[in-house]
Amino acid sequence: MKKIEVPALARVEGEGGLYIGVKDGKAVEVRLDIYEPPRFFEGFLVDRYLQEVPDITARICGICPVAYQMSSIMALENALNIEINSGIYALRRLFYCGEYIESHTLHIYLLQAPDLLGQPSALDLAAVAPDVVKNALRMKKVGNEVLRVIGGRSVHPVNACVGGWYRLPETDRIKSLLPELEWALGIAKEMVKWALSLPYPKLEIDYEFVAIHHPDEYGLMKGDVWSSKGSRHSVNKYETHYIEEHVKHSNALHSRTKDGNHYLVGPLARLNLNHEQLMPEAQKVLRNNNIELPITNPYKSLIARSIELVHFCEEAIALIKSYDPAGKPHVPFELRAGEGCGMSEAPRGLLYHRYKLDENGRIKFARIVPPTAQNLPRIEEDLFALAPKLMKMKQETATLTAEHLVRSYDPCISCATHFLTVKIDAVDRE
Amino acid sequence: MSILVLGLGQSLRGDDSAGLQIVSMWQKNHPETAKEVKVEFSENPGLELLEFMEGEEAVVIVDAVRSSASPGTLIKVEKDDLLSFTSTSKLTHGWGVAETIQLGASMYPWMASICIIMIGIVAINFKQGTVVCPQVSSAYPSAVEKLETEVCKLLAKSRSQKENS
Repeated sequence: MKKIEVPALARVEGEGGLYIGVKDGKAVEVRLDIYEPPRFFEGFLVDRYLQEVPDITARICGICPVAYQMSSIMALENALNIEINSGIYALRRLFYCGEYIESHTLHIYLLQAPDLLGQPSALDLAAVAPDVVKNALRMKKVGNEVLRVIGGRSVHPVNACVGGWYRLPETDRIKSLLPELEWALGIAKEMVKWALSLPYPKLEIDYEFVAIHHPDEYGLMKGDVWSSKGSRHSVNKYETHYIEEHVKHSNALHSRTKDGNHYLVGPLARLNLNHEQLMPEAQKVLRNNNIELPITNPYKSLIARSIELVHFCEEAIALIKSYDPAGKPHVPFELRAGEGCGMSEAPRGLLYHRYKLDENGRIKFARIVPPTAQNLPRIEEDLFALAPKLMKMKQETATLTAEHLVRSYDPCISCATHFLTVKIDAVDRE
Repeated sequence: MSILVLGLGQSLRGDDSAGLQIVSMWQKNHPETAKEVKVEFSENPGLELLEFMEGEEAVVIVDAVRSSASPGTLIKVEKDDLLSFTSTSKLTHGWGVAETIQLGASMYPWMASICIIMIGIVAINFKQGTVVCPQVSSAYPSAVEKLETEVCKLLAKSRSQKENS
């Protein structure tokens, strides 16, 4: 076989093509051709007032708006030396819990599980495992409800602002989330067992994992950037250690470490680097199911997501039980010219923002580094590693297998550029 | 009858903002009709579309669509058509309107009785930005009147049902 072609990869966001060049039975070239037009958000933000930034950047992604809002807000607060109080921070974590619950549920059950169960789509999965899909939809709704109660709506919520919140949600509304979250926690724990039982293709990669790490909480918004290869540094040093560069075949920038390595961000990185900071029930799930870390098979990122689902349901419950709003919803601040950066863990991995402001609070420069852009070269390398197996498969199987690998990353190509055509060609090389 | 008018789209993706703009224009042009129904806007709702629809008896969705018809053409699609439609949606992790309705119909009994009408406006520019193709934007007034006609039909049916009960 010389060629595999998938015109459009289903169940990922955005449009891209995959090319694999083969010579003498070996892959000699692997490219993810991203032909979505370049991101225009970084330019679009220039001259916008700082408080517009969270709501505009939320539109980069329909599935992870909270991540964009939080990273942008933290960067702008860093630029203006704004310090928030613990109540505002706790509500931000609860907000993020909602996003993780709905995003991870979508990916686990409706995007990746069909691949592992040999179903062409979630619609087909619903026909053979209706209870699994029904639970998934109900769990997704739980996450959406958290976003709605805090943010006003689940898609592109509107309550987050630089300095805190426009208003604090009423206690009754927050507490009303508890029953469904408690149901969700129970289901999430059962679903880890289900996730462990799925038939994962064999592929072990020696990754460099990169994630936010904090000694006292599961890395999300506070802490330093840790690498599994030993590097530790503050968020302010991110651009020194991790470089973005243009590649000819892609409208998305590709990231590498300053030493030239491709690295992995996302649930595997977070779990492998931060498992000691998981909530107690999530830790118990790891132990009771004899889950060995680190997990280094990209397909098994589904397992990492399922454990994180337990964690974020549990953390949401704890935050709601202690919710006791007092004082103003946001802290005051003064405008001044400045520059700042911020980073948080989107469900797909590290999301970095940097902004320059003028004395009137207008954006003069924006840089946004999404997690999928950081993972793109790593996806290419994994496909390179997979290519020898693909060569031995029938056309259709090889195509599905390549797609499946890309999907296991839960890529958000729209975020990265601001679905996949897979083509494997024989290459005549001199 | 509980009726929802739902404008869908993406405000920063060219013609894909059409659904949002048409419903907004309809609200301004026909405020009396708009007051009688629930109106919502959503950008990329994906599976959340089911949450919008739950509890309603009729939903009129307005959204930009891809088609071989010329830009600005209005297409009316009903639930049965959507249930058999294969979409090539590349948005929101693959969950476009048709797929979501199909999944909902396979999962939820309430989907059997809900009336779903989609008014699609054929669009061509889905690039990032706020520019809407002139052939698409010039069709907005017709789309607004089409929406008004469909909503008025549903309201008339609702009144008739109330009178007969």
